[in-house]
Amino acid sequence: MLYTRREMARLLAGVPLSLAMTRQAGRETPGLTSVNGVVFGVETFSFHDLPPSGDPKLIPTIISNLRALGIAECEIMSGHIEPFPSVMTGWWVQSRRAPDFQRLREEARKWRLTVPMQYYRDIRRQFEDAGLRIYFYNLNFNETFTDEERDRTFEAANELGAEGLSSSTVLTEARRLVPFVDRHKMFVAMHNHNNLADPDQFATPQSFETALAMSKLFYVTLDIGHFTAGNNDAVTFIQRHHDRIKNIHVRDRKRDNGPNRPFGQGDTPIREVLRLIRDNKYAIRAYLEYEYGSFRSSLEEVKTCFEYCKGALA
Amino acid sequence: MLRVLQRCARLVVAAIVFFATPRLVTAQQQPPQQDAGGYKAPTAALERGRAVYVLNHCHFCHGTDLTQATMGAANLVESAMVGFDQDGRSIGPLVRAGLPNLQTAMPSYRDLTPEEIVDLARYIHFLRQQAKYKQLVVTSAQAVGDAQAGLTYFNGSGNCAACHSPAGDLAGISRKYDAATLRSRLLRPGPDMPVEGAAVASGQAAHLRLLENYTRANVDNLLAYLQTLMPDR
Repeated sequence: MLYTRREMARLLAGVPLSLAMTRQAGRETPGLTSVNGVVFGVETFSFHDLPPSGDPKLIPTIISNLRALGIAECEIMSGHIEPFPSVMTGWWVQSRRAPDFQRLREEARKWRLTVPMQYYRDIRRQFEDAGLRIYFYNLNFNETFTDEERDRTFEAANELGAEGLSSSTVLTEARRLVPFVDRHKMFVAMHNHNNLADPDQFATPQSFETALAMSKLFYVTLDIGHFTAGNNDAVTFIQRHHDRIKNIHVRDRKRDNGPNRPFGQGDTPIREVLRLIRDNKYAIRAYLEYEYGSFRSSLEEVKTCFEYCKGALA
Repeated sequence: MLRVLQRCARLVVAAIVFFATPRLVTAQQQPPQQDAGGYKAPTAALERGRAVYVLNHCHFCHGTDLTQATMGAANLVESAMVGFDQDGRSIGPLVRAGLPNLQTAMPSYRDLTPEEIVDLARYIHFLRQQAKYKQLVVTSAQAVGDAQAGLTYFNGSGNCAACHSPAGDLAGISRKYDAATLRSRLLRPGPDMPVEGAAVASGQAAHLRLLENYTRANVDNLLAYLQTLMPDR
C-alpha cells in the first residue's frame, strides 16, 4: 500500500493535534493554540534533546513535538534551520576567541549567501502540511554580519512564513538594522537577557525603550524569566509597552540573577502576566521556554510547563 | 515412540535456544542507563552530584559530560579553576555567586547547601577525569616526547618523585608494559570507574588530580623519560 507524504506524516506523528487547529481542502491550515484568549507557542530552544543542526530528523522531530503538545506555532532558532551550530554565527563573544572561529564564520556566511530560497520554502511546507506555522524566526544579529547577510536573513524569514524575527542582539546592532526592517517591511523583536553591567545589552526597560524609539518596526520579545532575574518588574513593563510587545518567553527564574526553576517555583510572575494578557486582551503571544533542570525529556517538561500555564488561565 | 521423544527433545532444545539467546544477548549488550541528564553515575555519592548538576541545569551550558559546552559557557575540561579545585573550595564560591556580567549570565546558585557543593564538585571532577583520559590516551602520530622535559616535570610540578623512584619501582618500566599500556597506566593507574564502597588510595587520588591537569606535552614528555629508565643490572 502506498501512502502520500501527508498521509505518512500523519501516521508517523500519530498524535492528535488538539485545541484550535483546522483543516481545509486536504491541507491543514495553521491554526491558533489559544487558552482563554492567550495564544501559545514554543521557543524551539526548549527542545534540548533534538538531533544536531543539519540532521534530517531535526525538523520532523520539532513538528512531532509540537503536535504532541497540541501547540500550533513556534519561534524557531536559526540553529534548527541552518545546517551548522549557532556558535558559528558569532553571537557569543567568547566563541569568537576560538582559534578556528574566522574560518567557521566564513563558512556560515557563504552558506547563507548561496543557499537557494527553496531550502526555506521546503521547511515551511513541512510545517504547513502538519497544520503548524513558524511565527518568528529567531536569529541573533551581531557585528560579524555583513549587510548581504542581514538582507538574506530577512528574506529567509519571509520564505519560512514568519511574521518577523526575534533576536538576542545589542543596541549597537539594532541601529544597523533600522534600514533593513524598513526595506523588508518586517519587524524585529528584541529579546532580553539579564546582563545589567553592559548597557549595550537588552536587559532593562531603558534598553528596550532606546531600541523602540529607533524604528516603528522594532518590537519586544520579553523574556519574563530573565527580566525578573535582572530584578525588573515584568507586569509594569507589559502594562506600559503592551502595544510594542510581540511575545513573551515564559520561564521561571529567581530574582537577583537566580536560577531557572520549574514553573511556579521561581520569582517570575507567570500567573499575573498571563492573566494580565488575558484580561486586557493584549495581542501578546505566550511562548513556552523550558530551561530548568530535569532528568525527563524536554517534551515531557514542555508539556508540564504548558499545563501550568493552562492552570494559571483557568 | 523413540522418534516422538527425539522430536520432543529437539523442540525443547529449540525452545531453550529461542528463549535464552535473546536474554543472553540483552544481558551482554546492556547499555549504561541514560536519561536527559546523561549517564547514571557509578556510585551513589557521584549520583547525588549528578542530581545537583542536572537539576540545576548546569548540563544545558556545560554539557552532560563537560565536553559539549555551549552558549559561551566555560569548557570545564580545560578550566584552570576546576583543575585547581578540591572538594568545591574554588567551584563553590563561583557557583554560589554566579557570573552576572557574562553576555548571557551564569545564574547564582546561592541556595545550594555545603554538602551539595561538595557532591557537585566531585561529580564535575569525575566527568573531567573521564574526559581527560579519553582525550590523552590517544597517541598523536606527530608527538615525540622530550625526555629531559619529562625529567623536569617528574621532579618538579608533577611531584612524581614524592612517590616514585627511577631506580626503584620505575626501573625498566618500559620493558614491563607496551607503550599503549604504559600511557594508560600513567594516566589512570586505578580502575576505569570509581567502585561503590571501594576507598580510593592516596596515590590513586594523586594520579587522578594529575590526570585532570596534564597537558598532552606533559604526558608525551613523561613517557619519553620513562623509556630511558633501565633496570639495575
